[in-house]
Amino acid sequence: MVNVTVDPLTRIEGHLRLSTEVNAEGVITDAQSSCLMFRGFERILQNQDPRDAALLVQRICGVCPTSHSLTAANALDQLFGVADTIPKDALVARNINQALNFIASHATHIYILWGPDLANPAYRDVLTPLGETGNAVWKEMVGRFAPISYKIDGQSVPVGSSYLAAIPEKKRLQEAIAVIGGKMPHQVTSYPGGYTYKPNVADIGKLSSYYLQVMDFVSNYTLKVPFETWIENTYNASSPQKAVSFVVEHLKGLVEKSVASNDFSREAGWGDAEFYAAFGSELVGETLLGLPASLKHDKIGGYSDPSKIAFLSYGGFYKPENGDGYDPNSPAGDRFLTSGVVTGSLEYQNFDASKITESVAHAFYDDTADLHPSKGETNPFTDPEAIRFDQGSESRYTWNKAPRYDGTPCEVGPLARMLAAKEPLVTGLALAFNEKGYSAANVYTRMMARIQETAIIANELLKWVTVDYDPNGKIAVDTDLSMAKNSEGMGLWEAPRGALGHWVSTDSNSKVITYQPVVPSTWNLSPRDGAGVPGPLEQALIGAKINAVDNALDINYTNPVNILHIGRSYDPCVSCAVHTIDLTGKNAPRTLRIV
Amino acid sequence: MKNLIRTLDSLDFLKLDRRTFMKAVGVLGATTFLGTYKTEIASALEFAETKIIWLHGAECTGCSESILNGGNPDIVQAISKLNVNIAYHETLLAQQGLFVDGEPVNTSELNSELLVDELIEEGNYILVVEGAIANGPDGSGRYCVIGNRTFKELFAKAATRANAILAVGTCATYGGIACADSAVSQVTDYRGVAFTKEDRSKGMLTELGIHKPVINIPGCPAHPDWILLTVGAVILGKIKIPEDLETILDQYGRPKVFFPTDHTVHENCPRRGYYDRGEFDEQIGGEKCLWKLGCKAPYSHADCAIRKWNGSVSMCTQAGSPCIACVEPGFPDSSRPFYVEAEDKGVLLGANIDTLSKAAVGAATVVAGVHAVRRMKGE
Repeated sequence: MVNVTVDPLTRIEGHLRLSTEVNAEGVITDAQSSCLMFRGFERILQNQDPRDAALLVQRICGVCPTSHSLTAANALDQLFGVADTIPKDALVARNINQALNFIASHATHIYILWGPDLANPAYRDVLTPLGETGNAVWKEMVGRFAPISYKIDGQSVPVGSSYLAAIPEKKRLQEAIAVIGGKMPHQVTSYPGGYTYKPNVADIGKLSSYYLQVMDFVSNYTLKVPFETWIENTYNASSPQKAVSFVVEHLKGLVEKSVASNDFSREAGWGDAEFYAAFGSELVGETLLGLPASLKHDKIGGYSDPSKIAFLSYGGFYKPENGDGYDPNSPAGDRFLTSGVVTGSLEYQNFDASKITESVAHAFYDDTADLHPSKGETNPFTDPEAIRFDQGSESRYTWNKAPRYDGTPCEVGPLARMLAAKEPLVTGLALAFNEKGYSAANVYTRMMARIQETAIIANELLKWVTVDYDPNGKIAVDTDLSMAKNSEGMGLWEAPRGALGHWVSTDSNSKVITYQPVVPSTWNLSPRDGAGVPGPLEQALIGAKINAVDNALDINYTNPVNILHIGRSYDPCVSCAVHTIDLTGKNAPRTLRIV
Repeated sequence: MKNLIRTLDSLDFLKLDRRTFMKAVGVLGATTFLGTYKTEIASALEFAETKIIWLHGAECTGCSESILNGGNPDIVQAISKLNVNIAYHETLLAQQGLFVDGEPVNTSELNSELLVDELIEEGNYILVVEGAIANGPDGSGRYCVIGNRTFKELFAKAATRANAILAVGTCATYGGIACADSAVSQVTDYRGVAFTKEDRSKGMLTELGIHKPVINIPGCPAHPDWILLTVGAVILGKIKIPEDLETILDQYGRPKVFFPTDHTVHENCPRRGYYDRGEFDEQIGGEKCLWKLGCKAPYSHADCAIRKWNGSVSMCTQAGSPCIACVEPGFPDSSRPFYVEAEDKGVLLGANIDTLSKAAVGAATVVAGVHAVRRMKGE
């Protein structure tokens, strides 16, 4: 057995360590996910003015600040007792801000953080011996996705065309957020009662213009089939099977045109999404399309035991058609992307916030908590010698806690949201993989879900900007600090990386007693719980082959590219994931229980 | 100045030759350290490659996100025109830390831990630090560990051999959000590079006994222009380190050109007209002055209101949110509570409110502004 450790896993937010035990066949037999930093973030809100939360808490994360500040605003809406009266146009403005952040964050992940692994020399070694097709595929991968300052065998590799083109688009999207959010990162407009800025007609015009420019990028680089055609035949398809059939037929057409010439370029119709949709998967690429090779990303990052995993969404984006106000409990169907829990065997259940628990059994916190939140207390280890990351699965090995839903580890993020929303294409892919003996969740479906969600939200964004938002509408209801006396608030929302919840309680002076975020990466990067069940990323690593394309060549422990793919497929955010909670207050959130 | 920025904004730097580009950057960056380069640039069009090692401590990656939003210059232009090599940056680089049975493996082309050690060994680099540095628990630094070593250890190693050190963002400069007062802040003991809050003696360099000059570029996040123009000035030799630092930096290590001692965000605030007329919003969503909603712009020394953010499209107060003085060494504690007007706090940033009000209004301010302050103060 060989220990293969990636530390730090770069091209993510924050500092993450993935430690694995690998056998002689190159298969991972054990894994630990360790978050390496402790900041003690939400403690800074205790005894403070709760209104500061939306601006302070977003500074947990510079990649998805909008999500944190809007989740805080949701929690504060309830704390101030105004959630049911927030004006519709404030809800739409929040949606627009969040949608732009989703698109920017997903694009960053796809092109800047995740994409460069496709230019890993391991793929050259596997693909180029396959002849002209392999050569052509490798040429596309390195030509599109190579990052800056990149070298292979001492030779500088030019920056990938898609990578390079994505940077100004990211900037453009951030600019669009700034138009209605003041600045990015750390936009400033989230506040209990509504939105601090009332976007005017000129702003709407600007947003529309930004939208068109971003869509130019999409049609030039990402998706060569017209965007409307794609949405119509996937998202709006009458069944999951029809959505998958459309994509497979579209790809078949491309393969037929390209197979003789070995031309897989964008000019030949292969957008980045089409390219990955075909070559990323063994089932789609080889079995259905008859391609001679694929990256086999559908064979890594899956779950072997459906009873030990679920997919969770709290529900994100308000529905403008519901008018003013919203339900803080996010019942099924109440949000544009609905809340829900999908089991490991793909059955949908309604979400119930009271079923969330957190375990510290394998994290560096004093284990003094009992079952009652009113008495629970959690404190970080203060002995430097006790903070060790290399002591194996039985030890404490991370700053991340282990959240569970009804006792089950949950994957959160685009795949979970698309499954909960029963999105036809992603659901269809998941069902197809299940049927053919693959894990429904895998690196391929995780990335396809992220791409598809970006498309869906872009589609909805245009409606929010041009149809739903009324520049003459009301943007906020009045609030006063006294409205937050002896109160509690729960903010349930979706960040690009997944389910995000904030819980706040206040005393008789309207000061914060407790403030607790439970964030997406806490779920995905979770360690083992008290029962020894590994977290989602750990489960996804165990059983995976470490080298490219199903260990196609000799085992190479020094370039475990599949560990990198699996880890990064969750779009980890470690500064979000690690936080400490303090439930010493008598009004501690009832929905949370420390086990 | 304002018109100039607008004009330059509309230029496409990629279409400019290097000479015009540098000229534009110089003018935009304004007087103090980019102003005099023109003749030198004309004769020196080629720059030697400058390596940057960009380290991430306890941070949110917001400053890295911010630099990708740069417009004057943008990051790609800076890299190509100034011949910058971002040799190490955890969010951007291809590499990652790779260990087999505890030993680093492969080469620096794939292993970031080998890469950073090689780069430090080679020397001749600018060190950029994003994020605060954990000193806790008990001075061990183990609250932030990367690649089997504490961030404190990595920082010490990189700082020792750096040609120049830039602390970027309020966390790296003064500790920022990581140093905010809380029940655990004494235990975590986060530090800025050269300062912790206003205290230079608590900076991590002092703690480590390393004596190196540092340029502080605070902000939560730091504005991309502030970062890239400063990097550009260092590369151009417009800032001689250490001899120029005393004149171009303020007492908290900030370039005065971006963080002027005698200028606050308030002076060019888009809502300034309302202030001068004494018209104030008391609920969010309006368009008047935000003073009564807690705006700290009169105490915030930065050029945000002139430069604005994200391609100059907006800024905090323009979007209806009070300035929270995120460039000041005491942030966030000195600005909290954000939504309570500064006068009600009595003391802000260690200074008496009355003095600050006068300073904020400034000698050149219209009489109406003085009246407005008096009206607010009930005089």
